[in-house]
Amino acid sequence: MLSPERLALPDYEYLAQRHVLTYMEDAVCQLLENREDISQYGIARFFTEYFNSVCQGTHILFREFSFVQATPHNRVSFLRAFWRCFRTVGKNGDLLTMKEYHCLLQLLCPDFPLELTQKAARIVLMDDAVDCLMSFSDFLFAFQIQFYYSEFLDSVAAIYEDLLSGKNPNTVIVPTSSSGQHRQRPALGEAGMLEGVEASLFYQCLENLCDRHKYSCPPPALVKEALSNVQRLTFYGFLMALSKHHGINQALGALPDKGDLMHDAAMDEELERLVVRSKLHRTSWQHRAKEPGAFGFQRREKQEALERVSSASVPTPYHYRWESRE
Amino acid sequence: MIPGKYRSVSGRAANNVNCGLHLVIQTSSLPEKSKVRFKKVEFKLNKDTSSFPGRLLQHDLERNYSSRQGDHINLVSSSLSSFPILQRSSEEKILYSDRLSLERQKLTVCPIINGEDHLRLLNFQHNFITRIQNISNLQKLISLDLYDNQIEEISGLSTLRCLRVLLLGKNRIKKISNLENLKSLDVLDLHGNQITKIENINHLCELRVLNLARNFLSHVDNLNGLDSLTELNLRHNQITFVRDVDNLPCLQHLFLSFNNISSFDSVSCLADSSSLSDITFDGNPIAQESWYKHTVLQNMMQLRQLDMKRITEEERRMASVLAKKEEEKKRESHKQSLLKEKKRLTINNVARQWDLQQQRVANIATDEDRKDSDSAQDPCQIDGSTLSAFPEETGPLDSGLNNALQGLSVVDTYLVEVDGDTLSLYGSGALESLDRNWSVQTAGMITTVSFTFIEFDEIVHVLPKLKIKFPNSLHLKFKETNLVMLQQFNALAQLRRIDQLTIDPQGNPVVNFTLWKYYVLFRLSHFSMQKINGTEVTQNDMIMAERLFGILAHVASSELPQYRLISILGDARKKQFRYLLESKGKKPGIINEENNDSKRLVGENTNRATLNYTTKDFYNEKLEEIKEKKKFCKTYIEDLVKEATEINMKNEALQKLWPQMFIELVRDAVIEIRNKNSYMKLCLQQITDQK
Repeated sequence: MLSPERLALPDYEYLAQRHVLTYMEDAVCQLLENREDISQYGIARFFTEYFNSVCQGTHILFREFSFVQATPHNRVSFLRAFWRCFRTVGKNGDLLTMKEYHCLLQLLCPDFPLELTQKAARIVLMDDAVDCLMSFSDFLFAFQIQFYYSEFLDSVAAIYEDLLSGKNPNTVIVPTSSSGQHRQRPALGEAGMLEGVEASLFYQCLENLCDRHKYSCPPPALVKEALSNVQRLTFYGFLMALSKHHGINQALGALPDKGDLMHDAAMDEELERLVVRSKLHRTSWQHRAKEPGAFGFQRREKQEALERVSSASVPTPYHYRWESRE
Repeated sequence: MIPGKYRSVSGRAANNVNCGLHLVIQTSSLPEKSKVRFKKVEFKLNKDTSSFPGRLLQHDLERNYSSRQGDHINLVSSSLSSFPILQRSSEEKILYSDRLSLERQKLTVCPIINGEDHLRLLNFQHNFITRIQNISNLQKLISLDLYDNQIEEISGLSTLRCLRVLLLGKNRIKKISNLENLKSLDVLDLHGNQITKIENINHLCELRVLNLARNFLSHVDNLNGLDSLTELNLRHNQITFVRDVDNLPCLQHLFLSFNNISSFDSVSCLADSSSLSDITFDGNPIAQESWYKHTVLQNMMQLRQLDMKRITEEERRMASVLAKKEEEKKRESHKQSLLKEKKRLTINNVARQWDLQQQRVANIATDEDRKDSDSAQDPCQIDGSTLSAFPEETGPLDSGLNNALQGLSVVDTYLVEVDGDTLSLYGSGALESLDRNWSVQTAGMITTVSFTFIEFDEIVHVLPKLKIKFPNSLHLKFKETNLVMLQQFNALAQLRRIDQLTIDPQGNPVVNFTLWKYYVLFRLSHFSMQKINGTEVTQNDMIMAERLFGILAHVASSELPQYRLISILGDARKKQFRYLLESKGKKPGIINEENNDSKRLVGENTNRATLNYTTKDFYNEKLEEIKEKKKFCKTYIEDLVKEATEINMKNEALQKLWPQMFIELVRDAVIEIRNKNSYMKLCLQQITDQK
């Protein structure tokens, strides 16, 4: 607890690094907003609940975007919440457009900006037609990278542009303070000559960036791993590699591995209970003709998928992992 | 001799005839019969009567027919001219000095008739004559019968000033002409010809009967001057309209059967003719119409006979009643079409403004900093002129409406329409109309509410009003309302009940999403909706919706901290309260109802109730309000932090310094007590000092 590094930092900086102040401010703000309601059952209880929910990752539900992106922990919680709530959509096998994913995001965060979703979609679709359909897992992993490391990615984009245009990569690049406008790409002729930039050079710049940066960035070792196989890469190729890299995903700790993405035994049980309850609620509807897909498009009946997977086979490391993160 | 179709009813012709002839028109005219009579007379004169006059008559008929011809008429062809010359025996001439029959004589030309200048009746029926010639000398002629010949042109009649009856039926005449001198003409028969136009008869002021049946007439006019005409036969032509008939002061019988008349307007002049008493229209398109009989009767009160049937009083009465009904219906439909036109124009106007607004919003939205709401909407509400078809009312609206009528309030920028069970609103201005005093009956009948060209966010604000004023509205329709997010459907949850929802793809991008219907079913599951966009909702759909979004609901309810639940639900209730307070017709009962409703809501669907929709404006408003608080919190926390860090620093400093301080304390104390005596003295001193 009383580790030397911790004591080495001046107080304010320590607090800032752990984002304690953000949560304190937010707690007090919430208290002020809901004074009448909270005063009924006591301030101490309020603070308890608040910090409990911060721990559990439910504090970001239906909050404004500025709060959701305020701390890395918030971002991770948001990603996790999104996964948990809409995993069923992915499980059903629907391919959705970027706009629809954005809609789902907005269900959880009403003023989530469209830009971020668009950037995430570009990663998946490799900057091609942005109206294509995407699968849930593709989108989710790309979105994770884009959302969690958004500042980092802005800097990387700047570096990439410079490398492409042949500038000196070692000059300090600071992204503009606005929400990362993607700079104009060089004319197609130039870029077409040599696809992307050299991987090793690129990695060097990234390493410098990671050292300098106060934003969170992916562990350099893992980034090196991601770049090890290729000679040259494009910006979106790099991002795609990041999003598919298991190590980075685990380092983040928000989402399970790709293979396990659709599994969440506890939630499935709960869901079954809900479905059964809703069935009972509508006994009068049982007389209607059972036609699948009355809405005119094919739905794959994944009845079998919702059968209870034996809990032994599905590890639930995340709950444990969650608690160990302090 | 004279084809017996004509009966002179008035004895007028008889009066004018000086020659003593009584023109008796017989219904049957068998040439044989007349010939028989002829023969009979002759027979009596020439031969002794026998005991069997009938048989002998017959026998004689056969014997004498041909010989009679030979005796009677000698057609001697002369070498001088190409025309045959007619000669009759003098006996004949004396007996029948005024009549001559040359029917069925296979004549191809008119023969020259000499020495018969007193002739009055001339019969050329059933021949092959192509031109009227060689009769100029017969200036006493009264009746000329050229029925069934091949005459192509009326000519050669200029000297026949006494002519009263001219029969030119069944010829090939193409044009009425050369009748200028026939001023005494009484009967003119031109049926079965190829006449296309009525002309050159305006001088025939004594003409009583004009037969133009079976010609090629397409219209009737140019009838002025026929001051004596009583009968006009125009059957079997192609007549489409009739004019000038009101210029015929004596016309009584008009036969227009089998023509092409389709409306009464085309024969409107008939209404002005006071003399007409008998008319036929059968075989015309007009006779097939449902309104035919009573329209004719109503417009021609003077009529006694229609299509050869007498008109009874009963029929006349019926006709006037029906005609009145027709008039009213026409007026009604005219009014309706006017209203419809107005409606259409208004809707077009609203649509145009909507498009403008959308473009403006699109332009502004690209610049993220500015707010898009206010600046875009101003121009739409300016329009000064108000064409209100509705009188300004303070009382219930029902006084002006009955079930069949459409209630219409037309202002240039919006349109509100009530049509039986549907309330249609076009344009955002129409939303204000929900504030009106709707009568309980009208409001109770409304089951469908349709919104067009209105921003959904604006509709959200009036949903509470809708809930109160139109409690039976079960079907909502949205078209061109800018539904873009699934979230927006959350707003519909506050209504009492929805059975059917129709979201028109036009102007509502949300329909392009794959999951929208399932989300609607999920969020509005407590309504048990039956139809979405026309398709029925099956249980499978409901289950699928639950499967897809059930976890969202679970998370939204069970995982939110208690205070958040309360605050979110409280927010929603507060909003609804605000609208209630703003509405005019506030009744105390409503507030209780509201509480019950929300309680019920919370009870049934706790897990969904937190999924709300705040319109963008409200949301930004709220965030603005929070900014102040946030600033305060920040400074407050900073102060706290400062305090805490100070205390912490002091604490740390104390920690560091404490060992040293402790040692010093101990050392000082030991030093003090080292000398027992002096220490005792010091203590006593301190005690006395204290006193």
